[in-house]
Amino acid sequence: MTPEQIANYVDAASAALELNLKPGHRPGVLENFARLAQLAAVVNAFPLTPEDEPAPLWSPGGSPAASPNGKPGA
Amino acid sequence: MTAMNGLETGLEIAAAIREGRLSAVEAAQAALAVIDTHDANIHAFTEVTRERALAEAKAIDMARAAGRELPPLAGVPYAAKNLFDIAGLKTLAGSKINRDRAPAIEDSALVARMRGAGAVLLGALNMDEYAFGFTTENTHYGTARNPHDLSRVAGGSSGGSAAAVAAGMVPITLGTDTNGSIRVPSSLCGIFGIKPTYGRLSRRGAYLFAASLDHVGPFARSSADLAATYDALQGPDSGDHAQARRAIEPTMGLLRQGKGDLRVAVAGGYFKQNAGPQALAALDAVARALNVEREVVIPEAQRARAAAFVITAAEGSNLHLPDLRARPDDFDPMIRDRFLANALTPAAWYVQAQRFRLWYYQAVMKLFEDTDIILAPATPVPATGIGVETFELNGAQVPARPSMGLLTQPLSFIGLPIVTVPLHGLGTMPIGVQVIARPWREADALRIAQELELAGVASAPVAKL
Repeated sequence: MTPEQIANYVDAASAALELNLKPGHRPGVLENFARLAQLAAVVNAFPLTPEDEPAPLWSPGGSPAASPNGKPGA
Repeated sequence: MTAMNGLETGLEIAAAIREGRLSAVEAAQAALAVIDTHDANIHAFTEVTRERALAEAKAIDMARAAGRELPPLAGVPYAAKNLFDIAGLKTLAGSKINRDRAPAIEDSALVARMRGAGAVLLGALNMDEYAFGFTTENTHYGTARNPHDLSRVAGGSSGGSAAAVAAGMVPITLGTDTNGSIRVPSSLCGIFGIKPTYGRLSRRGAYLFAASLDHVGPFARSSADLAATYDALQGPDSGDHAQARRAIEPTMGLLRQGKGDLRVAVAGGYFKQNAGPQALAALDAVARALNVEREVVIPEAQRARAAAFVITAAEGSNLHLPDLRARPDDFDPMIRDRFLANALTPAAWYVQAQRFRLWYYQAVMKLFEDTDIILAPATPVPATGIGVETFELNGAQVPARPSMGLLTQPLSFIGLPIVTVPLHGLGTMPIGVQVIARPWREADALRIAQELELAGVASAPVAKL
C-alpha cells in the first residue's frame, strides 16, 4: 500500500467503525498501520490453496479434545 | 531471600515449613520485607496483598499444627500478573481504564489452583497495558526495572512477574504469553519460565489479549520449582472454552530423566539470523552441554511472526473497540496509536493469517517427526536500557520494543510448549534460550531444563540489590 492508499483506507475504515481519530492520534495511527500493512503483505504473499483452512477449530458441545498430536488453538 | 537463611526456591521453603524449620507466616513476612525494601525501585508490584498473605500463611501453619498433610507448595510466597482475577481486587491488566471495573468476585483459575496447592499470595504485578508490549514501560504504573541493572527494562508484558522473581521478592510468579510475554522477560531477567501448550492451563479469570494466542504459565528460579508449579496449575476447568480436555500429566517425577534419549536439534535459519552475539553464545553453550550438533530449519518463521502480528492486531484491538471509540486518551500513550491502527485490520488479512497458521503448524509438525526438542534463542539481545528506541541486529538498527519478540512470536503462534532457560555470565546481563517441545510434551522441555541446571549451564541467581 502506498502512503496515500494507507491514509485513504485509515480515514474510510475509521469512519465506518465510528472510530473518530483525533488529529493528534492520526500520524501515529498512519505510522502503525503502515507497519501492519507491511507485515500483512508478507503473509498475503504466501500461496494458499482452497484446502488451507483457518487454524481455529469450533467444537460444539464442549472444549476441543486434543488429538495425540495436538492441534493449535481453538 | 537472605531473611530466610539461604532458602531461595519455593520447594526449599515448602520443605522447611513441612519440617518445622520455618513457619509460613515467617516466610510471608520475609517476602514482604524484601518487597518493602526494594519494590520502590523496581516497580514489580502494583498491589501487595499483605492481609491475604498473612491469613493464608496462618492457615498453613494451623494445618501443620493440627497434623494435617500439607499440599506441595504449602507456605510458598508467590504473586500474579495483574490481569489475573484476585478476589476483592480490581483486575487492572496494566490499564487505567480497568480501574472503573468492579473488584473481582472470585479468584482466577490459576490463583485458585495456587491456593489449593498451599501457596501464599503476596500481590499483583506490573505489566504492559493490556499485555501489549515487550518492555513493561507502563505510563500509569511505572516501568518495571530489571533487578540485574535498574537502568534496563525487565521485559514484558509480564515484566513485574519476572522482576519480582529475579529480585528475590517471591520465588514463583504467574504470567501470560501471547507472543512471548513469559519468555521475553524470563530471558531479560535471567530466570526460568514456561509457556505450556496452548489450551493446557485454564485462562478463566485472566484478562485476555488475543484469545487465539493467549497462554498462561509460571516463572521460577529453578527448573524444579517451575515443574512443581506447572503441575499444581494443571487440571480441568469449565470456564475456559479453549482449554483442551486432557488428563493431568505430572512432570516432577520425570525431571531426573534429563535429556535421556530425547532427540535434540538447534534451530538455524531465521532463529540464528535474528540473534545477536550473546544470544548465539547462549545457544551454543546449551547445544554443547547437551552434545547437540544437528540443526533444523523451521520453515517460514519470518512469515509466521508476521502472521502472529496480524492476528494479535485484529483480536487485541477488537477487545477494546468500545473504549477506543469512547475514551482513547485513557489508553497508555505507549500503545494507543497501535491499538487504534490495529482496530482497522481488514478481515481478509486476519483470515489469511489464520489459514497460513494451519499450513505452518503442519510444516513444523513434520520437523517433530524425528525431533523431540528444538533449541532457539529467546531474545535477540539482553535487556536494553529503559526508553531505548532501537538496538543493533546484524549491522542494522531495529525498533527495540517489537523486535524483542522476533524469536518468540513464530513459536507461540502455533501453541508449542516452551521452557526458557536462563544463562548468566556470558555478558553483563543474562539471556535465555528457548527449549521447544512438541505439543503436550512439556515434560520433555522441563527435563532438558533440569539437565542444563544440574550441569551448571542454566541458573537463576537472585540479583544483587
